[in-house]
Amino acid sequence: MGEIKLENICKSFGTTKVIENLNLTIKDGEFAVLVGASGCGKTTLLRIIAGIGPATSGNLYIDGEEVSDLPPGERDIAMVFQNYAIYPTMTVRGNIEFGLINNKVPKAERTKLVEEVAEIVGLTPYLKRKPSELSGGQRQRVALARAMVKKPAVFLLDEPLSNLDAKLRGAMRSELIELHQRLGTTFVYVTHDQTEAMSMADTIVLLDKGAIQQIAPPSVMYHDPDNVFTAQFIGTPPMNIMPLGEKFLGYRPERVALDHAYGDGFYRKAGNVLTREMLGSETLYKVALENTVGSDGKQAEIMVKSADWKFKVGQACEVYVDKDDLYFFDSAKKRIREKENETVHRECMDMINRT
Amino acid sequence: MNSISVQARKPHRKLTEEEKAKERRKQKTRPYFMVAPAMFFLVVFTFFPIVYLIVLSFFKYNLISKMQFLGVDNYVRLFTVETTFGVALRNTAIYTISLIVLLIFLSMLLAIWLEHSSILNAIAQRLMFLPHLCATLTVAVVFQWLMNDEGMLNAMLRFFHLPALRWLNSSDTALMSIILISTWKSLGYYTLIMLSSLKSIPTELYEAAALDNTGPVRKFFKITLPMVSPQLFFLLITITIGSFKVFDTVRIITEGGPGDSTNTVVLWIYNKAFSGTIQVGLASAAGVVLMLIMAILTGFYFKALNNKIYYQ
Repeated sequence: MGEIKLENICKSFGTTKVIENLNLTIKDGEFAVLVGASGCGKTTLLRIIAGIGPATSGNLYIDGEEVSDLPPGERDIAMVFQNYAIYPTMTVRGNIEFGLINNKVPKAERTKLVEEVAEIVGLTPYLKRKPSELSGGQRQRVALARAMVKKPAVFLLDEPLSNLDAKLRGAMRSELIELHQRLGTTFVYVTHDQTEAMSMADTIVLLDKGAIQQIAPPSVMYHDPDNVFTAQFIGTPPMNIMPLGEKFLGYRPERVALDHAYGDGFYRKAGNVLTREMLGSETLYKVALENTVGSDGKQAEIMVKSADWKFKVGQACEVYVDKDDLYFFDSAKKRIREKENETVHRECMDMINRT
Repeated sequence: MNSISVQARKPHRKLTEEEKAKERRKQKTRPYFMVAPAMFFLVVFTFFPIVYLIVLSFFKYNLISKMQFLGVDNYVRLFTVETTFGVALRNTAIYTISLIVLLIFLSMLLAIWLEHSSILNAIAQRLMFLPHLCATLTVAVVFQWLMNDEGMLNAMLRFFHLPALRWLNSSDTALMSIILISTWKSLGYYTLIMLSSLKSIPTELYEAAALDNTGPVRKFFKITLPMVSPQLFFLLITITIGSFKVFDTVRIITEGGPGDSTNTVVLWIYNKAFSGTIQVGLASAAGVVLMLIMAILTGFYFKALNNKIYYQ
């Protein structure tokens, strides 16, 4: 019902090419999150789907129908803006039913729909108020209600939680997830916050400079990244990457053991603690590794997230990483997987053994 | 504290009660001294003239002989004997209403047209503002020349096979011509105000409206208009007050004629107070009437439209 297909989408602003030949399919009913750093093109992509910033070339299909030339009001979509964009001169009720009036919905049905939606988002006592009399969270609910009342096939959300305080953000996050489960419509959600992406998404679409880096569910993104960019984007702190001959080696800070191995301790290096940050249940260490070169050509410095808080700054230690927690990337920074490329993978493992 | 000498400061010692009281008095009266010059000008050039105006309106005064108290005689004369006052009032009303309608309507239209950023629009904006910068005398001379029976405007009319008009030379068309000249002069200024307020509307609102499937007419009346309503209100009040006080345009171009067809209230007051048989009392009464009309009109505007204006 609400499947979105983007085919060979190109977008330029003047002479600057922002997106080039992007292909993406978002399945019906999916909660897809477009995530990436600022300027990566995620909001541009969302606006292309919405129709308010059409693509320079390429095709867009919603539910099998080509909608590339259809005006935004005629596509079966609704959008929640980052700054809400609710009409400041109308009441909450007026805001919610504005689209319905445009679509010539009769008054009785309109009232019913508005009151239904207001009940779901908890705005029933505020229907007569104007936006200037509402708090940030309430305004956001108005924007949400306005989108929901149209009963669209696709919901587009452009960083809807970024203007809320931390506590409200957490509450709204779970509400949005519940909403998605309840309505079952396709959600396309844009954020720069990887935690939001990881916690809410069915599928994450990671973008960088207008190109898709990886499309995968959160757990796959974390455990099985396609390339260095993805490996370093997901996870705090990012994965430790260092050169391994022509290729690259990576492992996550939380999978490093200090002074004794978790498992087989396949990778072992001697090191020295440079900094120490006590986070509570975990401690973050920066460790300089002996006889190892880092990405910048100087001595390798890795981050270690450990439950062991007893190491002090300047203390010597040993780092251990299990065989299964090692990731290899080729010179083009693409992932080398054992299943796909056994020989190369084994070569990398041998290189570890030798050093 | 005493062993180390500090160069610039006076030696600190406890103030006596007398000195403290003096300081307090000084603090209290200082603000009044600060405001005094401005207040002086306000009193001398605004408050006093208004009061004196009202006082004068009850007297007969021709600047030479002594003032004679008349009671409300002047006011009665205004509406009975002096028929030209009624004509002037009527002309001023027509002029004001025409300008309000023309200026607000056209400036809104032009602002919407010029909203899109382009080189042509940027040039148009600047050209449009030029008439506002011209001196009234210049405008008067130029338009008298244009509106001549054999002038450019008639030449254009004849080119389109339309009958030539008498413009400023006939009592039927003189007021309309003055209205046209005033509109031409002020349109650019008001268009600029409207344009800047249009551009301040966040584009996101229009995007949300597009997603709500809003047609252009509804978009204008439900989003654009309410968002520019404060500026529109400002325009309404300034145009009303400015038009009611029209003087220099009619004084220079037509001197109230032909006949009384372009006589306006302020011109009437001017003529009564400074030329012919000087009747300052009568003129003052007319001035008070003008002041009352504008006060009532402005009050009406505020009351009637206050709820419709959206202030951010």
